[in-house]
This record gives sequence, C-alpha cells and structure tokens, in this order.
Amino acid sequence: MTAPLRSSPPPSQSLNSPQALLRLLQLASPALPVGAFSYSEGLETLVHQQQVTSAEQLGHWLNQELRHGAIRMDAALMLRCYQASQVQDWHRLQDWNQWINASRETEELRLQSEQMGRSLLRLLKQLQPTLAIPSESLTQLQAEHCHFATAFGLAAAHWQILEEQALLGYLQSWATNLIAAAVKLIPLGQTAGQQLLFNMQLSLEAAAMTILRLQDEELETCGWGLSLASMSHATQYSRLFRS
Amino acid sequence: MPPATASQNWQGKLELTYGQELRHGQPTTAITHRYTEAPLRLQRPFYPEGPQRCQSVVVHTAGGMVGGDRLDFDFRLGTNAQAMITTAAAAKIYRSNGPEAQQNIQVHVASGACLEWLPQETIVFNQANYRQQMQVLLEPGGQWLGWEVTRLGRTAMGESFVAGDWRSRTTVHQQQLDGSQRPLWIDRQWLPGSPEIWASPHGLNACPVIGSFTWLGANISDEVIEDIRKAWLSQSSPVTDSAGVTRLSQGLLCRYRGHSTSLANRWFRQVWQRIRAEQSGLPAQVPRVWQH
Repeated sequence: MTAPLRSSPPPSQSLNSPQALLRLLQLASPALPVGAFSYSEGLETLVHQQQVTSAEQLGHWLNQELRHGAIRMDAALMLRCYQASQVQDWHRLQDWNQWINASRETEELRLQSEQMGRSLLRLLKQLQPTLAIPSESLTQLQAEHCHFATAFGLAAAHWQILEEQALLGYLQSWATNLIAAAVKLIPLGQTAGQQLLFNMQLSLEAAAMTILRLQDEELETCGWGLSLASMSHATQYSRLFRS
Repeated sequence: MPPATASQNWQGKLELTYGQELRHGQPTTAITHRYTEAPLRLQRPFYPEGPQRCQSVVVHTAGGMVGGDRLDFDFRLGTNAQAMITTAAAAKIYRSNGPEAQQNIQVHVASGACLEWLPQETIVFNQANYRQQMQVLLEPGGQWLGWEVTRLGRTAMGESFVAGDWRSRTTVHQQQLDGSQRPLWIDRQWLPGSPEIWASPHGLNACPVIGSFTWLGANISDEVIEDIRKAWLSQSSPVTDSAGVTRLSQGLLCRYRGHSTSLANRWFRQVWQRIRAEQSGLPAQVPRVWQH
C-alpha cells in the first residue's frame, strides 16, 4: 500500500489498494443505478440546434466544460464534500450541499442533481447501513435534498478511495455519460464515442490537477452556453433526455 | 480618455438606508441615511409611483473605471420599504495593464421590503480586468430583484473581448426563522477573455452582449415563467441571439446572450413589468434617466 498524497494523515485513511480500485470502478460506473443515462445536460438542445453535430464539436464542448465550465466547479464541490466527510465534519458537508443547491444554474440541472444524489445516497445506505454520518445529519441532508456531488464525495470518502482518484472517477463518469448521450443524439458510432473518451484522458487529468488546487475563492464558472442550452431544453418539443 | 496608468485611483462609496414610515396617513419610503464619497453622487429621490416606492439615481462623476478603482455600495431597506435604484448612464470599464477594477454591493432587505437594483449597462473594454460582487441578505419575506447588461468590447469600433477578465458574483442568502442564513442563489460568473471563449458556443458564441435578470425571495408560478418566455419570443430577435428563463429555489433567473443591449433591456423591462403585475398589479414607472 502506498501512502496517500498529503502532508498530514487524515483521520480516516484512504486506501490505494485493489479494494479501493474496485469500489471506485463501481462508484464511477455508468451502470450505477442513479439514472445518469437519462440526462444530457443541454446536449440534446445543442444537437437539435446543430451547434454540436460531430465528435470534434462534442469534444470541444466537453473540454470547454472541463476548463471553465460547470463540471469544473462541481468536481471542486464534490472534493469539498469528500474532505468534509473524511474528517467527519457533517456541518461543513451540509453547508457545501447548500452551496451546491444554490449554485445550480437551471431548474432542470437542479432536479437532475437532486434526483441522482437522492438515488446514490439511498443506494449507499442499502449497501452499507453503518455509514459514519450520524442519522440526524443524514436525515437533515435528505430533507434538504442531497445533491449528487455531495453523495459522491460522501461515498468516496466512506469507501476510502484516494482523493485524486475519486476526482478522476467523478470527471470520467461525467464524460462517459455525456458521450453516451451524444452517441445516441448526434448520432455517432460507438467507436467514435470511445475514441473521444480515450482522447480526453489528458484533458481529464489536466482538469483534475487544476481542480485539486482551486481555492474556495476561485470557485467560478463560465456558464453562458450551458445555461442557455439547459433553459431552452426545458421547452424543447420532443425530448429523449431529462436535461 | 483616462490615462492608461492612473496614479490616483478612485475609491468611491455610497451608503443608503431606506425606511418606511407613515406620512399623512400614507406608507412612505424615505431615505433615512445617506453617505457618498466621490466619484459617486446621488440625485434627489423621485416618487413617480407614489410615496410608497422611492426611486434613486446614482451618478458616477468620473465617467468610467480604470484598474485599481473601487466602488463600494451599501443598501439597507427597513421593514416594508420599497426602493428602486438605477444609474444615470452606462458604466465604462477601461482596459487595464494589470490591476482589477472592483464594484462591491452589499444589500440588506428586511421583511416585507423589496429592493430593485436596475443599473444601466456596463461597457467592458477589451483587456479590462473587472470584478463586480453583489451580496444580498434577505430577511424572511424580503425580496430582491436585479439585472445587469454588459457589452464586452467596444463593438462599434470593431473590438471584441479577447483579453482581460470579467467576473460577476452574486450571492443571495436568506435569513431563517432560527437566525441562521441559507444561500438561495450563488452565481459566480467568470469570463476569461480569449479568442476561443469568444467564438465557442460554450462561451460567448461571438456575441458581445450578455445579461442576467434575477428575482429572489418569492415563489414563482408556471404562469409567470411562461409569460416571460412568451415576451422573449415576441421580440423580433436575430437567430444569433438567445435567451432563456428558469425557476430558482424561491426565485427566477433570465439570461441573454446576443448582440443588442436595447433588445436585452427591452425584454428585461417586460420581465420587470410582469413581476410588478404579480406583486401589486400596478405597472412600474420607467425612470426618466432611461428615456434617451
């Protein structure tokens, strides 16, 4: 086992072991039953408006999201929920969950984040009824809508997945889900989708490195394209996806 | 034109407190405290909608902001006070060789009160470095409504915003009955000037004008959202312009990205009127400084 990459040991030690890898694969899997496959995060509108019509344009959109967009901020927020869970600061976890709630750009994106968070938290409780979080805090989190980034951070900390790996897993599962949505929408061949995901490795890694260093003061996003696409998706005439 | 490097920076201040009191048996919103530091000045209050709602016009006497300039606003509304604040002219943010120009607005709205912050547009020159921050605290039953329309680059001169930074942060908290504060809306917009973001559909899509309209502290019906959408669709807007509306937890948000400040202003004024109809059934009176 390799020592976690941090200066002082956290109260609950993360693992760099086959067990942690298997847990990460499960948490980041598109088969995780949280309904991620039913959301396109505005891509359905962008395809409909012919702003995204090729693997290249899709790649551009996803890379812009990673560099300046909502996913960059969300991943940084997930990390904060992970860190709060790791030191068992449940008030802080709750504060960040409220922050996540208040920073959802549109109603569709807020409902998506709430639904996926609710499902993941429920699943986590069913898999492991003895979570470290006290039932009082858990009840309050559920009453206030536990968002997806919150539940993911909580789960990754509970499963002792390394911080950096949890972050990469979060970003990779986001990219996988959106590429799968775009493969259906544009449409693209399965291989083209996999090729894009493969080519995104460097940008996912670069984004993770930046996100790890972001200070709270630097949580910001360039959100015009996503915001408008998501607002317009809510009234799109014919829809396959819920966002 | 201001000097490229300003040896002296403006640190302007404006504090305004509004209270509601009974005058001749009528609820009246009056300014109970005012304090200004140059280059900010305040025109005498107007009451075009009757004594209940006070209209104030802020004047920036230096013409624009350079890197290092800072403006601080503090607006407080007592119980049931109704105020609308606007600006006398468009704001200009000149290009900077590094330092940031900053505008900070603190707002406190007591219960039953409503502040409308409806400034005229801001023109952000290419290579400007600008940050505007708005922090709103609503007591239970308090409302805040605000818009911002920004032109990025002096498009009339063929300039695009491809270098510099524009940041706009709005945070609205609501005080809970137990005294704690809960964030209702956190908007941390950042536009790093670059040719890629300028051209990308993810960023500006080659549109120089962006605008946001936010209303918080009220539950919004489907009907209001639908009317706002229809108001946009009834504009004869070019296909390159886009706009949308969505519901926030206890509020609503409109965004515009396009080419025309007057189109954004026209739609936002319709949204404002629709909200007034929802609140009081009375139309809002457009201030004289907008009629030019």
